[in-house]
Amino acid sequence: MPQTILTFICEVNPDNLGRLTALLEQIQNNRDANPYIPFAALKSLHFASFVIHDDEDYGSKLIFENNFDGLIDDYLEELSRHAGTGLHEIYSCCSDYPASAYEKRTLVEYLGSKVVRPKAFHIGNVGRSAERIGRENILRLKIEEFLDKINPSDKSDTALGSLRSRIQTFTRNESSLDWAEEMQIRQTLMERIIPWVEIFAVGFGIFILMPVIIPLAIIWLMILRRKENRDADEFQNDFEFVAYDHIRGLVEREDRIVQNHLASITRVKPGWFRLVTLKLVLRLANLVARTSNKGELSGIPSIHFAHWSLIDKGQRLLFLSNYGGSWGSYLDDFIDKASLGLTAIWSNTSGFPPAKFLAFKGARDGPRFKSFARRSQTAAIVWYSAYPNLTVQNINNNSAIREDLYTALDDDASKEWLQRF
Amino acid sequence: MTIQLERDDIQGFVLSSYAHLPCANYLLLQITDPELARGWIKHFVSQITTAAKKQEGFSLNLAFTSTGLSKLGFTASELSTFSRSFAEGMISEHRSRILGDTDENKPESWDWGSADNSVDILLLVFAENENALDAQLSLRFGEIESCGGLRKVFALAAGRQADTKEHFGFEDGVGQPVIEGSGSELKQQTRTHHATIIKAGEFILGYENELDIRVALPEAREMPTFGRNGTYLVFRQMEQDVAKFWNYLRDITRRADGTSDDAALEYFAAKIVGRWKSGAPLTKYPNSDPHKNPTEKSNENDFEYHEQDQKGFGCPIGAHIRRTNPRDSLGPDPETALESAKRHRIIRRGRSYGSRIENRFVADGVPRGLNFICLNTDIERQFEFIQQTWVNNRTFAGLYDEVDPLIGKKDKDTGSFTVQNDPVRRRIHNIQDFVQIKGGAYFFMPGIEALRHLARFSVETDESEVAPSIEV
Repeated sequence: MPQTILTFICEVNPDNLGRLTALLEQIQNNRDANPYIPFAALKSLHFASFVIHDDEDYGSKLIFENNFDGLIDDYLEELSRHAGTGLHEIYSCCSDYPASAYEKRTLVEYLGSKVVRPKAFHIGNVGRSAERIGRENILRLKIEEFLDKINPSDKSDTALGSLRSRIQTFTRNESSLDWAEEMQIRQTLMERIIPWVEIFAVGFGIFILMPVIIPLAIIWLMILRRKENRDADEFQNDFEFVAYDHIRGLVEREDRIVQNHLASITRVKPGWFRLVTLKLVLRLANLVARTSNKGELSGIPSIHFAHWSLIDKGQRLLFLSNYGGSWGSYLDDFIDKASLGLTAIWSNTSGFPPAKFLAFKGARDGPRFKSFARRSQTAAIVWYSAYPNLTVQNINNNSAIREDLYTALDDDASKEWLQRF
Repeated sequence: MTIQLERDDIQGFVLSSYAHLPCANYLLLQITDPELARGWIKHFVSQITTAAKKQEGFSLNLAFTSTGLSKLGFTASELSTFSRSFAEGMISEHRSRILGDTDENKPESWDWGSADNSVDILLLVFAENENALDAQLSLRFGEIESCGGLRKVFALAAGRQADTKEHFGFEDGVGQPVIEGSGSELKQQTRTHHATIIKAGEFILGYENELDIRVALPEAREMPTFGRNGTYLVFRQMEQDVAKFWNYLRDITRRADGTSDDAALEYFAAKIVGRWKSGAPLTKYPNSDPHKNPTEKSNENDFEYHEQDQKGFGCPIGAHIRRTNPRDSLGPDPETALESAKRHRIIRRGRSYGSRIENRFVADGVPRGLNFICLNTDIERQFEFIQQTWVNNRTFAGLYDEVDPLIGKKDKDTGSFTVQNDPVRRRIHNIQDFVQIKGGAYFFMPGIEALRHLARFSVETDESEVAPSIEV
């Protein structure tokens, strides 16, 4: 089942900022049983967050991030059914929210009009619904329990063939695991092929238009290098490490579960040149990200959902990420494995360490890149994860367990499968 | 690779573990009068052992916490040029969470280093024998007394040990990166058949690091290069409950008839550590310890995981030595993995304290453990990363709900340990915490020039600029 990633962005009425913050804090402090949003009841939801971004010329914005299964209409239906009145309370704090009393239709229409879709996104566990992720973890846990009872010194217990069939008998006898027999795929053949066709088409288009593109690219490169040199001078003069107080405010909320959240807003460098470049890079990134189906985004194995949106009439870049592990390891992966791609994106925004030819240097300057990342970061007031103990790798492993549970496997494949526990 | 380390300016402890000086004592001091303390430092600087040459008989080294530097006159803005971890200290709420300093490990119950019992200065004293150590200590205490301005909080003895095993009984200190330019490559290669050279900037400030950059140096007024040739020293006093460890293992390996199974006991103990007691690595010797004689030891370190032990049939994926240094095992490409692992290395300089237990199954109430000390230039990216992303990470390398079985902080959901096996893994459950943190702090160990500067440090005239203490 495909996933949808989007945000609702609304202007907060400055008079209500305090009330809204308090309300959101209340939700965060009691995510399981708060009276506003019963997250666990939203079966199609993977991750959600509320971020308030407060800034002098952009104003106070409420950013509501949603990563869910299926399409927006069904999701809005589910959202309003379970959290309608709560969301009404929240959005009453926004300046242009029209209803004084809760009306489902008004809320749905209001949210529908505030949708911001990302220009580029990545999904770690492609095609797995939140429900499937939960179930497959239960399946693994049950088999783990079963395996714990195996006597390791009893050869008949641990013989390869009998072990597999005993596991199958065990799971077949568990009526709560009936669903596991049903074959489920991650992506259809078309879903896997289309991204490659698109990349091929773009490549082909570039090839055909080569005579036009080459001179354009040379001019573009010359302008770019001039701008980069100027930016580099400015950066050397202005750079300061981010204040420790700001970082303290962020880390307070980090490392409570297996995953972490990152919300970052940066300013696109002024002028059309950077905006056009950024849009092109994001489009390219999105093309490449669509081909990822093993859980990695340019070598980074830990991202559940990550997305880039252009907001504020293209003046700002919003990045939201739900990733596994610590901030430090995430950022180090960025630097070690994906510095080209992310430099190509963020070097178009202000305050990023100097880049060369769009994608080089930049993030390789570890300490100053990390400082940039922290500075641009805003802590989410509310953050919800539907599976707080699982990484992308865990989820893929669980799926593989389930997908091959009842498949006929030869000895080598059986051995591989048993190593998944 | 010919970089020149400024050995005259680097404290000796950075480049040497002082193996020739088996007795040590770590003095934890508090500054009561900054002016007098500066006088003591001034007198003391000339006594400090540098890395220029090996000093016979004894060695002395000195390091400061951020509260110490603050009392000596560093402003908040000067301290913000140091590592954030150092400036804030080890005991912030977030740091406690990632280091595993919760429940019985919580800083409030530490013997030293807690908010109520903070330390400012660490004075490391090493000597060739007990008499020499006693002589050094009484001499130094005398100086501290007569000079005034300093108060002893704690003295942590790290006496002579019978051998190089730690208290659980395992050969320790085998793996150690070689600092570029230190000249100890051959020594390490001979001792362990393996040497990983790591760029000097990972352990000494002022040199290029594994990211190929020189990071900005910590600054002091009138000395913008204050941090040069300095390093951060992480100290953790880790008490080991030896009887708890072995009794746990004996209980889970008992045969059906209730008798204990020595072979299984040793097997699981080795699986937890990743080495046999002799130090022989499980990746190379998956079935049994090649050294049957308990006095024999092995310092073999010439192995990688990707080729030899990818599935963890030898050294389990979550074993202690694999978590603390995963070598080339994380991710699909061994070379990339090894390159990134190089950015998360530390120099270990810890020593055991307390007497060896007589019967490893019988608790005797004697405190013993490891005074863990490590050196690095980026606490967040090195020590804290290892602790958080590897040791205490419940999903390390694709595992589920388990932490380092030896030193990780377990809770009710993370007390299991998976031992990969053919055809299927075994798991052990309800692993307890065998190690308890009794104290700890982050120190900065300055270069000699920086210490001289500290001794004559001018206190800012504008009192409001002086940071009374760092908020945590």
